[in-house]
Amino acid sequence: MTTNSMLKNSREDSHSGPSVAGEESRSDEPLIVKKHTAYLRRGFHLWPELGKDNLPAMGDYRWTSDLILSTWLQAETGKPPNNGLEYRVGNSGGGFDVLDLKFLPEDQRLANHGVVNLSIPLNRRPYDCSIEIPVPFYGAGMSFGSISEQVMLARAKTAQAWNTFTSTGEGGYPDSLLAYKDHVITQVATGMFGVREETIRDARIVEFKYAQGAKPGLGGHLLGDKVTTAVASMRESVPWISLFSPFPFHSVYSVEDHKKHLDWIKTINPKALLAVKVSTPTDIDMVAVGSYYAGAHILNLDGSYGGTGAAPEIAKKTIAMPIEFAIPRVHRYLSQEGIRGEITVMASGGIRTAYDIAKAIALGADGVILGTAELVAMGCTRCGNCERGRGCPFGLTSTDPELSQLVEENWAAGRLGNLYRSFQLQLRDILRWLGLTRIQDLVGRTDLLIYGG
Amino acid sequence: MYQRYHLETSSAPEIAPFPNRTRVKVQKRGLATHLVRELVRYRGNRAVALSRPCLYGVFSGPVGGFAPRSDSCVACLRCTVEYPEMVRVCLNPEHLRLGDSYFTPGHVDTVCYEARTGRVPVKGAGYRGRFGGAGWDGMWTDMSEIVRPTRDGIHGREFISTSVDIGQKPPFLTFDEQGVVTGRSARTFSMPIPVLFDVPPPSALSPKFVQILVSAAQKAGTMVVLPVGVLKRLKLEGRAIVPLVSHKDDNALEGLRFTPLMIELEGWNETLFREILVRFADSAICLRQDSFSKEDLSKYYHSGVRVFHLTANYHGFGRDGRFVLDLIREAHAAFLEAGCRDEVTLLGSGGIIAAEHVPKAIICGLDAVGLDTALLAALQARFLGDCLDRQSSGFQLPRRLSVDWGVQRIENLLASWRDQLLEILGAMGLREVRRLRGEIGRAMFQKNLEREAFAGIKGYDH
Repeated sequence: MTTNSMLKNSREDSHSGPSVAGEESRSDEPLIVKKHTAYLRRGFHLWPELGKDNLPAMGDYRWTSDLILSTWLQAETGKPPNNGLEYRVGNSGGGFDVLDLKFLPEDQRLANHGVVNLSIPLNRRPYDCSIEIPVPFYGAGMSFGSISEQVMLARAKTAQAWNTFTSTGEGGYPDSLLAYKDHVITQVATGMFGVREETIRDARIVEFKYAQGAKPGLGGHLLGDKVTTAVASMRESVPWISLFSPFPFHSVYSVEDHKKHLDWIKTINPKALLAVKVSTPTDIDMVAVGSYYAGAHILNLDGSYGGTGAAPEIAKKTIAMPIEFAIPRVHRYLSQEGIRGEITVMASGGIRTAYDIAKAIALGADGVILGTAELVAMGCTRCGNCERGRGCPFGLTSTDPELSQLVEENWAAGRLGNLYRSFQLQLRDILRWLGLTRIQDLVGRTDLLIYGG
Repeated sequence: MYQRYHLETSSAPEIAPFPNRTRVKVQKRGLATHLVRELVRYRGNRAVALSRPCLYGVFSGPVGGFAPRSDSCVACLRCTVEYPEMVRVCLNPEHLRLGDSYFTPGHVDTVCYEARTGRVPVKGAGYRGRFGGAGWDGMWTDMSEIVRPTRDGIHGREFISTSVDIGQKPPFLTFDEQGVVTGRSARTFSMPIPVLFDVPPPSALSPKFVQILVSAAQKAGTMVVLPVGVLKRLKLEGRAIVPLVSHKDDNALEGLRFTPLMIELEGWNETLFREILVRFADSAICLRQDSFSKEDLSKYYHSGVRVFHLTANYHGFGRDGRFVLDLIREAHAAFLEAGCRDEVTLLGSGGIIAAEHVPKAIICGLDAVGLDTALLAALQARFLGDCLDRQSSGFQLPRRLSVDWGVQRIENLLASWRDQLLEILGAMGLREVRRLRGEIGRAMFQKNLEREAFAGIKGYDH
């Protein structure tokens, strides 16, 4: 390992892997990783107190520096910040950021010691297996290749600890996840990367990804620099060659074809719950109804402003509607069709905070799916360099053998667990302040929202 | 033989200094102390003690962090996260001065990236901007979850056409008894991309810049609108050139040595229009105006105008203060109501500064868009103050501007924007850009979506 080991330049060095350096320097690698890991963790601890004024280049309209730093703090303490950081909303000027919750006057709120139930069922049909999660959220699909195996493991450990779920994304199912299989959703996406009969058979939930919010209508992108040998092997592809998943499923021309897909999964694993992940086009209401009739138990609406992987900027900003508009449209339409009570609607794509979760549910979702918020808890600064060269400089969205060591799975799982705990605390408070005892009673309660735009 | 339309891209790095978004500042005394401490801590192991936090080479100079290379910074912030006491990553004030209040530094960054590489900008970690907003920002485009006819088009297995027809398109043909076409026939020509170059501002009308525009338009198969006086002075001619004439120009078309595909008439003047019609019977005649009322459009249509160029200022606002998006929709709707939309061509320019604006403008009703400030930004022109309109705006092009470099930058920009247009069309499952024109049903507007989603919520009374 050279003195510049942490700054090997992308492709050329990535190809040659960690052995580019001589024998002597290679032996320094663990020490270098240890040193930088320690400094990073120290930084994650210090920065929420040092404050945003010292980080002028951090944050954006959606994820302000306050939101990033408060997420770091929650990931450390398991509690919402009390140091003045704005941890509830961003500064985007629309959507969740202009909605507020209509809390009761303090003397009418429920007592702090009262029991509040945050659990939601993932199967609302009267048949098939019953799965209930104790918090109204689970982890989004992030593929091996887009993130490191360590990060996947951390997410799986957290899902197990919280009796909820995380998703493989479309990059295959590393063997190390098998220990957590009861909490890992197997995703089947258009590229079919790493999809095997046994990973479908092992899963309690199988998710069909039709589209994803960050690049609706375009299919997944994993740029060549991140297709390491390990990633290529998992995906049964060629190392260092970019992978563009086709779009859409080329066997789906109709709702009937969609049902055929779900039937395949049911044939392999009759016990599995079926989730369908779709983006948010103008006819999202019809897509939702179609998914219900095709047999889906869970409908994942993925809004256009979220996403963790590489995506064309034009797709993120321009194609499909934000989740704040899609949720009420789907909720109302499913209700009008008389089927709302039989499908679980999970919202994703721009859910950043506990307050976003509550607002999404008040707009009509049953629960939400977290992606970026989890990465931020593990140290993401939202710099957006995930797809470049060796990937994330913090080792999160990277499969670089050296960089990925910066994230140790137990440390990361601890941070995720703390974020979940903080969200749980806040959601309980939110419900009490709204006068509710069950999160399920918040679904579709737009009367509990205030528009402040 | 049929050839698929292709724009040849190649790297065209900036020729003038381009300020990076961030600057990295390191406390030198703190760094020196830190290094000594690290060397002691790691017992002189330089590999460990001197290992640096940056993957992008900011500290890879001969003296490392003592002279950080800010131009390499990608604002990942890892250095400042690791060393909050020593390293500070600040926004670069020079970068913040790029562009103007409409063409923001972010837009300049994107356009320069596109012009430098010809690639589609791709980034991780989701969308960063405002939720919506006025103008183009309050509009989203549709997509389809299932198979549409040319789903594979984006990746090249099938074909999505970006070709548009400009000119007079009669709704039907009439034939005499011998089967010979009588009456009006189509007088159209095709452009392989729905983009042309609008008239440059006087402050940038240097011969070199004009030559870049003409050559780039020729290579891309599109057109550039240029004042007829400039054409004559520079002795320019060719299929790619659209002479702009005004009734103020004396003998405007005298001495024009070629028959243009299209001639633009600046402001309505019936005498001049008739004169052009007679003298250039094979050319399309386009009426250029900064606003059209419904009555105007009807009047000009009945006078024989079939190509309209709706212009807004550089910030996208028309003379009456409305945004170009609304003006386009109004003009398109007026032709629809009159039942003659398919007979006319509607061009538009002003405020089109990003790839996403092209499909959005076409959805609103344009056949093709005109580029103005985006071309200048691609060539690293400096905006001198807030650049609102063509006549009064100042732009300073780089001193080292060369024709070859400029042509490549513009070709790269067009290639990138066309690829992004294909992404949008592909996501919708549309086979050709012509089918996108006026497809308002494939667009979503913030005010409509908000009304539907938030109606009934306390405080929402829009």
